[in-house]
Amino acid sequence: MKRHVRLLRTAVVGGASLAMTLALAACGGSGDSAGDGSGEIHVLVYGDATNKVEKQLVDTFNRTSKVKAVLDTIPGADYQSKLQTIISGKQAPDLFFNWGGGSIKPYVDAGLLMPLDDFIAKDPGLKSQFLPSVFNTAVVDGKPYGIPMRGTQPVLLFSNKKALAEAGVTAPRTWDELLAAVKALKAKGVTPIALGGGDKWPTQMWFQYVYDRVAGPDHFQKAVNGDKSVWASADSKRALGMLKELIDAGAFGTNYDSVKFTDGGSPALLATGKAAFELMGSWEYSTLQDAYPDFVKSDLGYGTFPTVEGGKGDPANLAGNTNNFYSVLKSTEHPEAVAEFLKLMYSDEFVKGQLGIGNLPTTANTPKFLDGSASPAYSTYQYDLVKKAPAFQLSWDQAYPPAATTTIHQAVQQFFSGQTGPDAFIAAMQTLPAA
Amino acid sequence: MTTTAVPTVDSAEKSARRGRPGGPVTGVGRPGIAWAAPAAVFFGLFALVPLLLVVVLSFTRWNGLGSPEFAGLDNWSRLLDDPVMVKSLWLSLVFTVLGVVVQTPLSILLGVWAAGRQRNRAVLSAVYFVPLLLSITAVSVLWRAVLDPNFGVPSQAKWLFGDGNLFGTQAGAIGVLVFVSTWQFTPLHTLIYQGAARAVPGVLYEAARIDGAGTVRQFFHITLPQLRNTVVTSTILMVVGGLTTFDTVLILTQGGPGTDTTNSAYYMYQKAFKSFDFGGASAIALLLVLVATLVSLVMVRLTGYDRMRSTMEGV
Repeated sequence: MKRHVRLLRTAVVGGASLAMTLALAACGGSGDSAGDGSGEIHVLVYGDATNKVEKQLVDTFNRTSKVKAVLDTIPGADYQSKLQTIISGKQAPDLFFNWGGGSIKPYVDAGLLMPLDDFIAKDPGLKSQFLPSVFNTAVVDGKPYGIPMRGTQPVLLFSNKKALAEAGVTAPRTWDELLAAVKALKAKGVTPIALGGGDKWPTQMWFQYVYDRVAGPDHFQKAVNGDKSVWASADSKRALGMLKELIDAGAFGTNYDSVKFTDGGSPALLATGKAAFELMGSWEYSTLQDAYPDFVKSDLGYGTFPTVEGGKGDPANLAGNTNNFYSVLKSTEHPEAVAEFLKLMYSDEFVKGQLGIGNLPTTANTPKFLDGSASPAYSTYQYDLVKKAPAFQLSWDQAYPPAATTTIHQAVQQFFSGQTGPDAFIAAMQTLPAA
Repeated sequence: MTTTAVPTVDSAEKSARRGRPGGPVTGVGRPGIAWAAPAAVFFGLFALVPLLLVVVLSFTRWNGLGSPEFAGLDNWSRLLDDPVMVKSLWLSLVFTVLGVVVQTPLSILLGVWAAGRQRNRAVLSAVYFVPLLLSITAVSVLWRAVLDPNFGVPSQAKWLFGDGNLFGTQAGAIGVLVFVSTWQFTPLHTLIYQGAARAVPGVLYEAARIDGAGTVRQFFHITLPQLRNTVVTSTILMVVGGLTTFDTVLILTQGGPGTDTTNSAYYMYQKAFKSFDFGGASAIALLLVLVATLVSLVMVRLTGYDRMRSTMEGV
């Protein structure tokens, strides 16, 4: 039996790696060190507009280092899938972009990642120079595995001030005010809240905040650690009841499942005044700035999620993407060079570069440069929020391992469309694997 | 010339009848086994080997990290208990049937029309062919934008689309998927029918005209029967395409709303590359292979494709 298993494994692994070798042969081999301190480290990142800054930092690093850094990018949507297929093979990078939390948990479990305790012992700045609520996102099983390497992206409630004024409402501070605003806006013929339900993760944002405000951050933490019973708790049911009330009040209109954020549908609703609110990550600002600069200048409002009376969550709590992180593979041949490279993540050059393209870094030296950011008032507002937040909830689909994503997305979508009720939602969340 | 060739053929036939494989086949260029080697090697390397690996994987637990663990029949028993799996097979079937039912009449009519030698038909046929040249991805992205409920066509045609929630209902989402595939693939089948319609011997139409048959009767009594084999060919292509519909689902609906357009091919992708359950995904893949094989066997049997009688008998 044992032999069979081994044979099987050899066959499959052999076949799979043969296939991968064929596919990747064209990409060229990585330069091997010749033992004289030279060589290469491969830095793998999510391909998008931020790569500009990453390229710049790699160049800076290469000017002084003997070991050269090479920046590899994988375009957007395919990142996680491709990473998973190369990370345990020969083409694995030395350090790579991730979202912390559940997104690296499977790699930690597989023994692929290096705990960063040693790096931090040699250079305490690798921990102390970052905001704790952000740094902690990449702590798995009590050990740090990631260094923040981009901007923080809290989810905020954006609004169209003009649409609000016409309906005679102000930005809601409490849940009851939100419900009242929904009613007034609906009477005006405006869709109260724009929602890109076609993407599913925007729908999930509503759950993250309502659960935080009602049940407090511990609720989700317990769930993600494997305590499935919390999903059936009274708090959980109250949160679902509140969401149901909001949906039934017509807050999102009727066709949100056909609208997407990713193709520009929901931001356009907000900017054109067809909708009055949108709950979205902080990148909404730059998205709108690109497409509707006039709207951003005159009518864009932003604020935190409303408080809930009698809820356990602190009104200053945030949810969203705390930041992105670099994690390091155990298999790296140049740990010293990697450590040197990571130090750049709290350098002045890094902070200026990120601010310049509209990202908000979470380092201690960030406030010094906020005036030089693309939109100083907005950056300062966000930085203060993140700094003061007692808890910063990582997006659910990133707090759980990637395998859970589909289940979560389907559950939130079906609950919003009324296809399933609270019991089915609770049951779906209880099937999720612990992180 | 003839004196040497004839006896050779004769002896080859005899030896075949006597059932001696390996018998001397001389003279006439009957290709040997070696001729099949390149194709066989490619087929083996890129079809059989992966298929075998998928069979092996379907009995393991593997998330892409480390080595696969042997899991026995676990994936299979999970699969058979999985309501989404049953639903996805059902949806694959729905896509296939709707695709055939919608595309076949359209492409027969267009193809027969395009077979005419008139200049305007030639020009328009070329235009109709354009969708096939575009990538499915581009076409899907395009239609997603056109069908946006707030800024696309539905917002201007409320009498037809209501609130425009096309992607929020199962019927709407399936309708869009079938429509987009039809838009893209009808040209291919039109082309097939055009060629076939042009191959129908003109004497048949002349005879029909003399007998007093009009255009409609000519179509139903000559053109359609003559296209019989083409219908089979085209339908098999559609069925294969329908069962493996994937790109349009990925870009237009992501299997939603809920799992309402998650067909087996998309479900397999989701399991493998979103949930990193390669074992479960392999089991779905195998099930899809089995179902597709079964469907094509049944089709071949029912349509007489295996006998493929000529439509030219007596002409």
